[in-house]
Amino acid sequence: MDRRDFFKIAGGTILAGTSGVYAIRRLTGSIPGSTVADSPLTGKKWGMVIDLSKCVEDCTACLDACRYENNVAFHQDERWDVHWIRKIRLESKIGTTSTEKSVILLCNHCEKPPCAQVCPVQATYKREDGIVVVDHHRCIGCRYCMIACPYNARYFNFKDKEDWSNTDRPKRSHGVAEACNLCAHRIDLGELPACVEACSNVGEGAIMVGDMNDSGSEVAKIIMAEAVKRLKEDLGTEPKVYYLGL
Amino acid sequence: MRSKDILNNKPSAAVAAIPITIILLPVLYSIFTFAFAQEKKGTEQFLEMPDAVYTKCVRDTEYMRHNHWVLLRVVREDVVRYGKRGEISLKRCGECHTSREKFCKKCHDAVSMKPDCYGCHYYP
Ligand code: SF4
Ligand code: SF4
Repeated sequence: MDRRDFFKIAGGTILAGTSGVYAIRRLTGSIPGSTVADSPLTGKKWGMVIDLSKCVEDCTACLDACRYENNVAFHQDERWDVHWIRKIRLESKIGTTSTEKSVILLCNHCEKPPCAQVCPVQATYKREDGIVVVDHHRCIGCRYCMIACPYNARYFNFKDKEDWSNTDRPKRSHGVAEACNLCAHRIDLGELPACVEACSNVGEGAIMVGDMNDSGSEVAKIIMAEAVKRLKEDLGTEPKVYYLGL
Repeated sequence: MRSKDILNNKPSAAVAAIPITIILLPVLYSIFTFAFAQEKKGTEQFLEMPDAVYTKCVRDTEYMRHNHWVLLRVVREDVVRYGKRGEISLKRCGECHTSREKFCKKCHDAVSMKPDCYGCHYYP
């Protein structure tokens, strides 16, 4: 056998081997994956309105509900705490008068999300219905999104939460970036996000979520009629969280 | 003189077959053991379902044995990316196969694979 023949036989064997593997894969059955076209999410655009005049200053109902619902790693240690929704105090000084305000901050679910643009593995992406989600299975923990987000809405999971507060929902293990996902699991089932529910349970109803494409929804009506503001509008990220009384 | 003889002597097919066989040995071994294991149905002893809620699995046993991970991966993509929350989920698996120790871990330990589902997903 000369060298030519050797390569012919070797090549043939490799070809047969690989096609055999392919055939085995075909035989063991395949499941068709999803496409955007048959997604149930098309045509919707979820948005949020926060009425700061209704928000009570010391109330933490929405924060607690979110931490419980989504197993957010909250250790009460600011080095490792993850916040999907948080409250800050804003102070504005005009002349001699200064006013203080407490403001709820969360992921704004930007229409043009910089976090999704920079994610090298497309773990962060905008769903068809406008919710910006992190696929934690894919996230490699590079933290680009945390740098890209102009609202500091992203947090890195430095330390695992030990147990589940809500066993129906997953928690995140160490090494992924997280942010509010607008309770996508609840929205898909036609329920309201945990924070919205908690806020109306304490009788305030300061947070509202609705479909902005549906002109009959409460959220769309407020955005059309009232003087709403968004955060850092000049950046062109087109956030979908609107503030009343900011 | 001797070295020239060796150069002129072309190696026979039998000589070439030896290295090829050695290279292919692991491949052949896995193919044979794969076929053999299917006949023996050796994994049956691993499955314990004391508190099964459903009478039937979402796919047949043979399919689940080899491709449960494909199914879970496709379902994951459906749910996370496209919002299609169907009946298949890790939670539903847990309604029949109630113990991770008695179910998942047995096979995965046997083949020394560590699925990392449970860092995030609750499975008793
Ligand atoms: S607020 Fe930040 S994390 Fe949320 S979509 Fe916009 S850029 Fe991304
Ligand atoms: S930390 Fe994760 S989600 Fe953020 S950019 Fe990197 S891979 Fe994407």
